[in-house]
Amino acid sequence: MSDWNAMDDEAFRAEVRVFFENEFPAEFKFLPRRMRWHECRDWYLKLSKKGWIAPNWPREYGGMGLSPTKLLIYLEETERAGVGRMPDQGLTMVGPTLIRFGNDAQRKQYLPQIIAGDATWCQGYSEPNAGSDLASLRTEAVPDGDDYVINGSKIWTSMAHDATHIYVLARTDRQAKKKQEGISFLLVDMKTPGITLRTIRNIAGHEEFCQVFFDNVRTPKKNLVGELHKGWTIAKGLLGFERLNIGSPRRPLQALEKLEALAQARGLLADVAFTERLTQLKLDLADLGSLYGRYVERARRGETLGQDVSMPKVWSMETFQRLSELLIEAAGDYGAIDGEVAMGDARIDVLSPFYNSRPGTIYGGSNEIQRNILAKYVLNLPS
Amino acid sequence: MNEHGMDHGALLAHSVGDFVKRGADLPRVRALAQTRAEFDRAQWQQLADLGWLGVLAPESCGGLGLGLAEAAIVAEGLGRALTPEPYTAVAVLAVRTLEYSADTTLRSELLTGLVGGDRVPVVACHEQADDVAATRIATTATPFEGGYRVNGQKQFVIGAAGADGYIVSAQAAGELQLLWVPRDVAGCATGLIALADGRSYGTVTLRDVAVPREHVLASGKAAQGALGRALDHAATIASAELLGVMKSAHEMSLDYMKTRVQFGKAIGSFQVLQHRAVDLYIQQELADAVLREVVAQLDAAPDDRARALLASRAKSRCADAALAITRAAIQFHGAIGFTEDCDVGLYVKRAMTLSAWLGNGRAHRTRYAQLAAQTTGEAA
Repeated sequence: MSDWNAMDDEAFRAEVRVFFENEFPAEFKFLPRRMRWHECRDWYLKLSKKGWIAPNWPREYGGMGLSPTKLLIYLEETERAGVGRMPDQGLTMVGPTLIRFGNDAQRKQYLPQIIAGDATWCQGYSEPNAGSDLASLRTEAVPDGDDYVINGSKIWTSMAHDATHIYVLARTDRQAKKKQEGISFLLVDMKTPGITLRTIRNIAGHEEFCQVFFDNVRTPKKNLVGELHKGWTIAKGLLGFERLNIGSPRRPLQALEKLEALAQARGLLADVAFTERLTQLKLDLADLGSLYGRYVERARRGETLGQDVSMPKVWSMETFQRLSELLIEAAGDYGAIDGEVAMGDARIDVLSPFYNSRPGTIYGGSNEIQRNILAKYVLNLPS
Repeated sequence: MNEHGMDHGALLAHSVGDFVKRGADLPRVRALAQTRAEFDRAQWQQLADLGWLGVLAPESCGGLGLGLAEAAIVAEGLGRALTPEPYTAVAVLAVRTLEYSADTTLRSELLTGLVGGDRVPVVACHEQADDVAATRIATTATPFEGGYRVNGQKQFVIGAAGADGYIVSAQAAGELQLLWVPRDVAGCATGLIALADGRSYGTVTLRDVAVPREHVLASGKAAQGALGRALDHAATIASAELLGVMKSAHEMSLDYMKTRVQFGKAIGSFQVLQHRAVDLYIQQELADAVLREVVAQLDAAPDDRARALLASRAKSRCADAALAITRAAIQFHGAIGFTEDCDVGLYVKRAMTLSAWLGNGRAHRTRYAQLAAQTTGEAA
């Protein structure tokens, strides 16, 4: 396997660009929503075969082990080519979490499945009555022989209808003094009897997430990650990876690509007031890249990410929203049209970045919660 | 980067930390409005003795020959301490301009003197506001026997109060010249304009100033290249000063929020203030991240355009973050923040003067937009 980090940046960029441009299926380019598994399976396997499916994983587990600079190039080219977002929880959450907190048997069982595309994961965190206050969750797992038996319900579970596995935060000790204690982190096969799904349509009309019901669902005890009752630590560790992932410039770049295309098509670059706003947003995004790179480097060195990783999450998603809002404004009268709009030589879906950028300030801990966390743990302000 | 860069960096950070801890500069800065003593000889000599004036200067001239990362450490520390002396103007802008100029006796004399603290050359190149790369130049250099006669006026010269001479840019038959003009030479007049923070801009008027040939530092493309690079390096290190200013100011706000009690609680426990403080902290950390990246990449920038884009990113983010953080500091402190007695005002004013100098945030965004739209390697 190549040592990508030893390559010249521009040579690496060129190689990634050519591959993405030639190989990503044209019919899915710039899809206005997340890709479903049946749509992206071939692409996933193609990347996997090439060794490019896990750019951020260490090489010993089948990843590319990219440095921050190279990873940013990879992400930029992903967006430039209009590669859609695949069910990526295994790659962005489960992999880094098992590498950090799992045992050898779990790593051996699950990591190759993720790389090979044999397993796709979803996240069993939020519950109908545990959103921002995640630690008040009530889904329960009770030991019974070699298994835990899970009862309860998870909600806002992205792409659960495409997932083969789910990781679940469940209460294993109801007597614990603090609500954060007595929570465990479990891995569950979605085919296990007792799991049922109800799909939920998002504001744009897409079936993006689900409610997942657990009715006496059994998962073997070997699927406990870390220690019993100590799942909150792992949950937080995973949230660190999640915040880092959401804090990547990738999604705002998607909106910037569209905004620049629209500006070109509508001749807006001659408009000084517009150019000023566009430039500010471009710098907001470029500077996010610098900040994000700092955390990528820490994650790459195997460090546990601190609470300050909330910063790129807040900045990335709010920049994404600002870009999506300027896109609608810059579209003028076209900004009311659903679906792709023909403007000049371009066909641009003006509204999809608006919809796609909404949940990012809510999921992974709302941006208001992130600010509470930063105030408490980073600025050490009193409560 | 120097092979011992890490060691030097750590040593520098340590000595800068000591310097800043004393906080000795706040009373001096406070008194500037009356004393106008922005350039203290003894203080300057101390910076020279610490080796800080020569961080970037070549070793052949007594400097340390280190990189921008080390200069940024010093500048950030001086920004934290609110030191009024023109570190960036002299130890970065003048050093880099000289370093990139032709290898002459004058050049090594000036550099050696500068590093030792006994010469204070500053660059006088701007004539118009928002001219980030200082290319709009009406000052003329007319050839005469033995050299040039120079006529024109330079503005926004930080460091003029303590300067003993100027590196002046002038047009000679369409070619840019960088010329050395001693401050006391016939026809050269320095006027000082008071700035918000008690420092001053020099306005340098040149009337038939005779510049001998051996005072020509660089000509033509070489002069343009030297000045362009030096200005981008200086804008970047001024950004490091701004970073120090904003960090000090925000720390001050956070300390105040932890101790000031209203409604029976520390005001820092109120969520609306916490979220404002966090948003400003994110700006500070963006500024920090951009500055580190720019400082690491600037010297290796493949062309003028790439270099200018980097410098403009740094100055734009650091200038605006410093302004936002220091202005918010007034609000966090309430009425006391609006008083002359409160140190908050000193930070606000330094942020204002450092932001405006060498192109403010808007000017750098304008340049960034123009350069981003181009595809060639020539900087505007």
